[in-house]
Amino acid sequence: MQQSVAATHDVAHGPLDNRKLLMWLFLGSECLFFGGLIGTYLLYRDRSTVPPFPHDVTIDGIRYTGLYDIPFTSVSAFVLLMSSVSMVLALAAIQRNDRRGLQVWLMCTALLGMVFLAGQAFEFTEFVHEGLTLDRNLFGTTFFVLTGFHGAHVSVGVLILLSLFVMASRGRITHKESLNIELAGLYWHFVDIVWIVIFTLVYLIR
Amino acid sequence: MTELVLVVLASGLKGILESPFYLIGIPLLALGALGAAIALSPIELRWPERPADLEAEIIAPPEGHPTAPTYLRVGAILAIITAMEVGVYYLDIVQGLFLGIMLTLSVMKFLLVILWFMHLYFDSKLFSVLFGGGLALVLALFLVVLATLGSNLI
Repeated sequence: MQQSVAATHDVAHGPLDNRKLLMWLFLGSECLFFGGLIGTYLLYRDRSTVPPFPHDVTIDGIRYTGLYDIPFTSVSAFVLLMSSVSMVLALAAIQRNDRRGLQVWLMCTALLGMVFLAGQAFEFTEFVHEGLTLDRNLFGTTFFVLTGFHGAHVSVGVLILLSLFVMASRGRITHKESLNIELAGLYWHFVDIVWIVIFTLVYLIR
Repeated sequence: MTELVLVVLASGLKGILESPFYLIGIPLLALGALGAAIALSPIELRWPERPADLEAEIIAPPEGHPTAPTYLRVGAILAIITAMEVGVYYLDIVQGLFLGIMLTLSVMKFLLVILWFMHLYFDSKLFSVLFGGGLALVLALFLVVLATLGSNLI
């Protein structure tokens, strides 16, 4: 069925795999999903009337300290970026038929993903301790929904990576099945680029 | 580094273990610095030789796809751009310039990942059309919604 490819051909690249085509279509639709959430955050940016606020702000002579911890979030962003590097190294390994390399880099990617999730859990906990909840103000609602959905995507990605690691450990992934790794990689890199946008638009832009 | 030494002197190892930033950040920054040093070094990276019987089984990566050393170099560039973003964040510059620099750096990272790591630069243009279609719709959504309802960003 996958080999039929529904007469979809590309002159320069030969027949296209249906699964890869579907994954790109899925990622295109995911752009709209996260675009909606990011757009909502930007729309309600700086419109919260009650503290806490994301950045330092002075209202009616009272100075409020911002919640964002940029050094900490920078480390998280760096972790996710490096996980993308380890993901492509996993793909390069299986394309060289280096199965041990595949296992090492897959586990490395999953671990980095888990570190990112741990950082996000820590950040959420800190924010809640500071009084920011889902229904506290517009900032809390839009922030938690946006970053929470992103965290959920990362969690799914980690589960996929761990599943692939188990399959690779049992010798069920060879270079002939490298497309499985490539598809997982596409999803993982997408999660990474979403964080690139969130990190800039949500955290860094004051 | 000086800050780390001060932390060690002030509270010993226990102090580091109690701080998630140092606990997570220092090993990762060290790993990133090592990766950057390898990626930017002029030494040609070589992978271990494989037994001859495996060579016949190897399927070459799709034509034009990057190799592992190229991936490492792109990763090092991404790390450097992230460091630049954080550095710019602490500079006291006018809002318009700040916004322009941040968006430019972010777009650079975005493009590096989708073009090299996700292989859009090398794969069929149909994939670019599918993904670009989603991006175009998002940009249209941003422009229409934010311009209509108002935002402090644009």
